[in-house]
Amino acid sequence: MLRRLATLSLVLLVGLAVGQAHPWEAYRGTTIVVNWPATYHFELAASLIPQFTAETGINVELDSVAYVNMRDRQIVEISKPARGDLDVVAWVVFTKGEYVANQWITPLAPFLVNPRLTAPDYDIDDIVPAFLLAGGKVGGTKGYLEGPGASLYGIPFSPETSILSYRTDVFEEYGLSVPTTYDELLETAQFITDNVPDVYGMTTRGSAGHQVVHAWLLHLSPYGGTVLDDDFNPVVNSPEAIAAAYALKTILENSPPGMAAAGAGEQDAAFLQGQSAMYLDRSIVAAEALDPAKSRIAGNVGYALHPVQEKCGSETGGFALGIPSNSQNQEAAWIFIQWLTTKERDLELAMMGGNPMRTSTHANPELQAMFPWYATVVEQLPCADADWRPLIPEWGAMNAPILGDEISAALTGQKSIEDALESANQRLRELLDRAGYYGW
Amino acid sequence: MRTNRFVPYLFLLPAVAILALGLLVPLYNSVMLSFYDWGFGQPWSARRFLGFANFQRLVTDPTVWASVRTTFVFGFWVVTLEMLIGVGLALLLEKAVRGASFIRTIFVMPLMIAPVVVGLIWRYLLDARNGVINYYLTEIGEALPFLQSLGFKTQTWLADPTLAMVSIIVSDVWQWTPFVFMIVLAGLQGLPGDVMEAAYIDGANWWKMTWHVKLPMLRNILLIALLMRIIDVFRALEVIFIMTGGGPGSSTRVLSLALFQTAFTSQDLGYAATIALLLSVILIIFSIVLLLYSNPLKDKADF
Repeated sequence: MLRRLATLSLVLLVGLAVGQAHPWEAYRGTTIVVNWPATYHFELAASLIPQFTAETGINVELDSVAYVNMRDRQIVEISKPARGDLDVVAWVVFTKGEYVANQWITPLAPFLVNPRLTAPDYDIDDIVPAFLLAGGKVGGTKGYLEGPGASLYGIPFSPETSILSYRTDVFEEYGLSVPTTYDELLETAQFITDNVPDVYGMTTRGSAGHQVVHAWLLHLSPYGGTVLDDDFNPVVNSPEAIAAAYALKTILENSPPGMAAAGAGEQDAAFLQGQSAMYLDRSIVAAEALDPAKSRIAGNVGYALHPVQEKCGSETGGFALGIPSNSQNQEAAWIFIQWLTTKERDLELAMMGGNPMRTSTHANPELQAMFPWYATVVEQLPCADADWRPLIPEWGAMNAPILGDEISAALTGQKSIEDALESANQRLRELLDRAGYYGW
Repeated sequence: MRTNRFVPYLFLLPAVAILALGLLVPLYNSVMLSFYDWGFGQPWSARRFLGFANFQRLVTDPTVWASVRTTFVFGFWVVTLEMLIGVGLALLLEKAVRGASFIRTIFVMPLMIAPVVVGLIWRYLLDARNGVINYYLTEIGEALPFLQSLGFKTQTWLADPTLAMVSIIVSDVWQWTPFVFMIVLAGLQGLPGDVMEAAYIDGANWWKMTWHVKLPMLRNILLIALLMRIIDVFRALEVIFIMTGGGPGSSTRVLSLALFQTAFTSQDLGYAATIALLLSVILIIFSIVLLLYSNPLKDKADF
């Protein structure tokens, strides 16, 4: 026994003397500055930072800002030609094109191929493919998707997709079956509005600008439409796009009054307060529906796949983490991003109520037992559409100012849907023409 | 003692320098910018010279002209209502009746609230599902069903193009009528007592006193109030931004909001500068017309 202990000690001593220190030791004492939004998931992640510092010796200065101010705050720093103050930034997926076009963020390949920086079991293939594409990939033929020319710029963090959440009590009482197609969805919504007292069939966002476009895009992919074709021509006047807008109109008519002025918060509240029987948008609402403090429908919520029409397709949105080109601590920044997105951490965050980004986390039986909607999300993920909206640098100018304006006008009866989308198509073409897409 | 004739200019210099820095430099930059295509956050060296392309685009851009029209509709109602109600209230509360100072204080309170908060207050008041206004409308409508056809039922205030316009007009009138009220009240209280007394002795009743004596004497004050309200209408942004975001569609997108969105949502700073110049030109025309009609700064004698 004593002999064994002595041998063990000797082995340990020799190991310390000739073996290498942990590769991350080199960055002990570095301080990195992290800028991300003050949303629920990121606050959960912030609570893990002391553990990160204890394990790696890297100090983190957190600059947590309101989601709407994040981009402006970041641009001031990351557009500086010399050195910037931010080492890790989070972005909403539709900002990635703009950041890369301006060379504000750096490709991740140099970190991924460096054996001293990236742990062998990091397993990047385990990240949900659609989330990795939507949040992190730039380049390729379309500019924002996979392809021979694409590079990885970010790791998805707090991504989201859409599923259908519904009131099991209402569906049971009226003997309704859960809709699987849009035809069934619209029919069921109409039935509930007409027959269930004080309950509307659905809820939706609808206010002019970004919100109404998000609502329309939710239906565009299942109806088989896209915003741009493969040659960057706008095709929002296609029959598919028009059908998706009509679907949104029916949904709006079967939502509580005033939803044409509603944002995501009001949309969610209508479902959580029990005024709407179905909710078709971010899967994240499911966590809130479970919480009796926020929800009057806790215990009565079921989950189903995002209904299909021409094809299956659900949203890809949320955030990703990356490294500014002008950061002076890029390796330590990568260690931080990597640490937060390992399998262990992803599962830990999901168990706390965060939004996972790995396939293995979604499939974890323990997690599924705790949060029943993950079983549905796992089934939904193969349909999560990374081409849900064109994440080109011009998307910001296409989204709220043009599409948001025209679709809102159509839904509130100022124009016909056909006229509005025709006019949107023309305005998108003018915009992309000015941006230089058709000058070849 | 003689002073050098340049001395007065020396004293004027600081004020002129500050005005030049604060006014002329931004104006110069804005004019410069309108000839370029320059994205938000890009280095100035990445700009692209466009010549008059931004101006050509402005002339043929239906969304900008729709915003100009929306601004005029909004401005017409807002300024008319605020002037009428503000002057009316000032005439009624001019006399030192019991509680007048209390009522005056209450009236002025909306002016002290930050515009963003005003926007939120009205947004929540007018919320279709949970708003107080709809609550009372439906309660009254249920108690007296014959009123339902007159609109005493759930109204989608901010989700209907016409009602949304009415809503932003009401919120602006609520906040800014007190401004007109205060200015006119101060003017009324500064009117010379002997003239009023003379008119009274001549047998003028309240109506005649008001119409033939007080209001003509207040002409310059009224014009200043009018001009300031017109300028403010073109700057109105925060309340509308919060209440409707310019929607539904573009039905409440006033020019200042269109300008804001072009600059910060579309990140098209060059074109935004061009729209800003249009806004300035409209305001300058309004100011010149009003000042030609009567320059309150010129003939102090008739006050």
